[in-house]
Amino acid sequence: MTYHTLLFILTAAAAVAAVMMKDLLMSALMLALVSVGASLILFDFQAPWAAVFELSVCAGLITVLFVSAVSLIRREENKLEDNRMRFYAMPLVMGLAAIAAWFYAVPFFESLENWARFGGRVNSLGAVLWDIRRFDLLGQISILAAGVFVINSIFPRRKKQK
Amino acid sequence: MTTGLLAYLLIPLFTAVLIPFAARTRHRLAGVLANVTLLAGLINVSLTLFNPANLASAFSGLAENGFALLMIFVIYLVALCVTFFSSYFIGNDSTVNRVPYYSLILTSVSAMCGIVTTGDFFTLYIFVEVLAVTSFALITSDDGAKGLEGAIKYFLLTFPASLFIIFGIAFLMLTAGTFSFESLKVIIASGLPVGGVVFAVSLILLGFLIKSGVVPFHTWTPDAYEGAYAPVSAYLAGIVTKVSGVYAVIRISMILRLFEIKAYHTAEVLMFLGMLSIVVGALAALRQNEFKRMLAFSSISQVGYIILAAGMGTPLALLGAVFHLVNHATFKTVLFLNSASLEKSAGTSDMNKLGGMEHSMPWTSWTSIVALLSTAGVPPLSGFWSKLIIIIALWDGGAKIYAVTALLFSVVTLAYFMVMQRKVFFGKPTEASRNAREVRPAMLVPVVGMCLLIAALGAFFPYIYAYLVEAIAARTIL
Repeated sequence: MTYHTLLFILTAAAAVAAVMMKDLLMSALMLALVSVGASLILFDFQAPWAAVFELSVCAGLITVLFVSAVSLIRREENKLEDNRMRFYAMPLVMGLAAIAAWFYAVPFFESLENWARFGGRVNSLGAVLWDIRRFDLLGQISILAAGVFVINSIFPRRKKQK
Repeated sequence: MTTGLLAYLLIPLFTAVLIPFAARTRHRLAGVLANVTLLAGLINVSLTLFNPANLASAFSGLAENGFALLMIFVIYLVALCVTFFSSYFIGNDSTVNRVPYYSLILTSVSAMCGIVTTGDFFTLYIFVEVLAVTSFALITSDDGAKGLEGAIKYFLLTFPASLFIIFGIAFLMLTAGTFSFESLKVIIASGLPVGGVVFAVSLILLGFLIKSGVVPFHTWTPDAYEGAYAPVSAYLAGIVTKVSGVYAVIRISMILRLFEIKAYHTAEVLMFLGMLSIVVGALAALRQNEFKRMLAFSSISQVGYIILAAGMGTPLALLGAVFHLVNHATFKTVLFLNSASLEKSAGTSDMNKLGGMEHSMPWTSWTSIVALLSTAGVPPLSGFWSKLIIIIALWDGGAKIYAVTALLFSVVTLAYFMVMQRKVFFGKPTEASRNAREVRPAMLVPVVGMCLLIAALGAFFPYIYAYLVEAIAARTIL
């Protein structure tokens, strides 16, 4: 129970951070963290396929795409006045969401917990990742390596041009 | 995925990670490391593939998947040619950063090996995406405006493909409950109604058709090949787009067992698109003035032959498709590398500004002739045999109109290449070509080697045919 709550809070915090971050790169990384959190929750509620997809596509691939797109954008100093609206609205939205979560998410997780117990908790995260989708993991590693090399290839050139 | 072939995937990935550390201060070391890794892999796979003992035992000693092994051989071959060529092509004043360049090439080699060894659609999808990301960065290697445009077009226009593939995979999960090629084959071969599975696989097929640049979806190919950094366009046209798209199409048509009546409509559409690609690609290639653009359209046309054969789906047609895929990698790499040499020494690849290059660049001229004759299907070069197999298979399968058109358009292929050869290499020398010199001998090694291979594949065709029949048809198709 506490594990889920912690994961849920972590995911929510990362999601808020993704919206609030001024730096696009950090924002993309926070979004990846949201996906990782979501996939861990899915793993724990006996949805290994959904979790593997979430982890592969959202956390791995989409992040690499975002990061390579961000690396193509030239950084211009703030010419436009930053829109502060979201900073005023955010606490209100977060407060409402937190209250709603207290009422709905906690019982929801408990009921899910029961269903998970009903399904029989056999697949630990490691077992699913390693036994069923062993070669995808290799693909994930290649994606991450590719992402690093893309950044390595594109970022220095952008700096030089500046 | 067969674990026996895992080393071909892991070792390049390892070197790719090693390069940024090892070549931090001496950037030239990056090229050396990449070349050594690829050469070692190529020698290793050639020893398995061309071992004379194989033929004597009818390939029964070959434990690995024959199709994957052949593809790995081609991947390593083209990648080695491109890295060896680039290590002399990248000058000291170049904007290309050697370290990430070679790392990206090795990562994409690793991803391609993943694609050809996997036995599962989801893993295939992941590796295809790795390949898309690395090619995106490779296209922009020299940071030109055209490269960036090509890369963005490549990315935006192949993005819907990923969407179709992932939808197809999700649908497959719903209907068949599995992604594995073997289980899908069993499901399709069984007598059960398989409409849902065929629909899902057809969605995936549509995605891979977009990725392979077949005619209604071909608009990204010429821009990407033309804009890409010169050696990279050889790499893309030679192997990357073929493995990320065409290979999967062949694989899917093996799964669907198109020669039975099962996925009849899918097969018809595939054949039609293949024919359309042959026709449109060849006619468009006739009208191009830019060398690389012409080669790109020729590539579309040649991919059409492969798709047409895959749509026919009989074991013989599939063998033709596989062999044409191998041949296409050899001759298109030669032609694109030659266009890179032309660009380097004459400063342009516009065919109207070039002329009489055979006097200043005889080796480049002659290797182009070998490659273009093989593309057009002139005996005894390798391209002749693969086209012959495809046309015979089409005729046998009852698609006689397709067979005749395919034959006719191989004459058109010869025509547009002859126009190219006359404009660029023969004729009177122009301003640009008078100052041109033949490139350094080291840059000629890959193209001459490839030409020898083209001749050898043609001359030793009986051995190749035995391999295709015993190691691929008997094990993977049937």
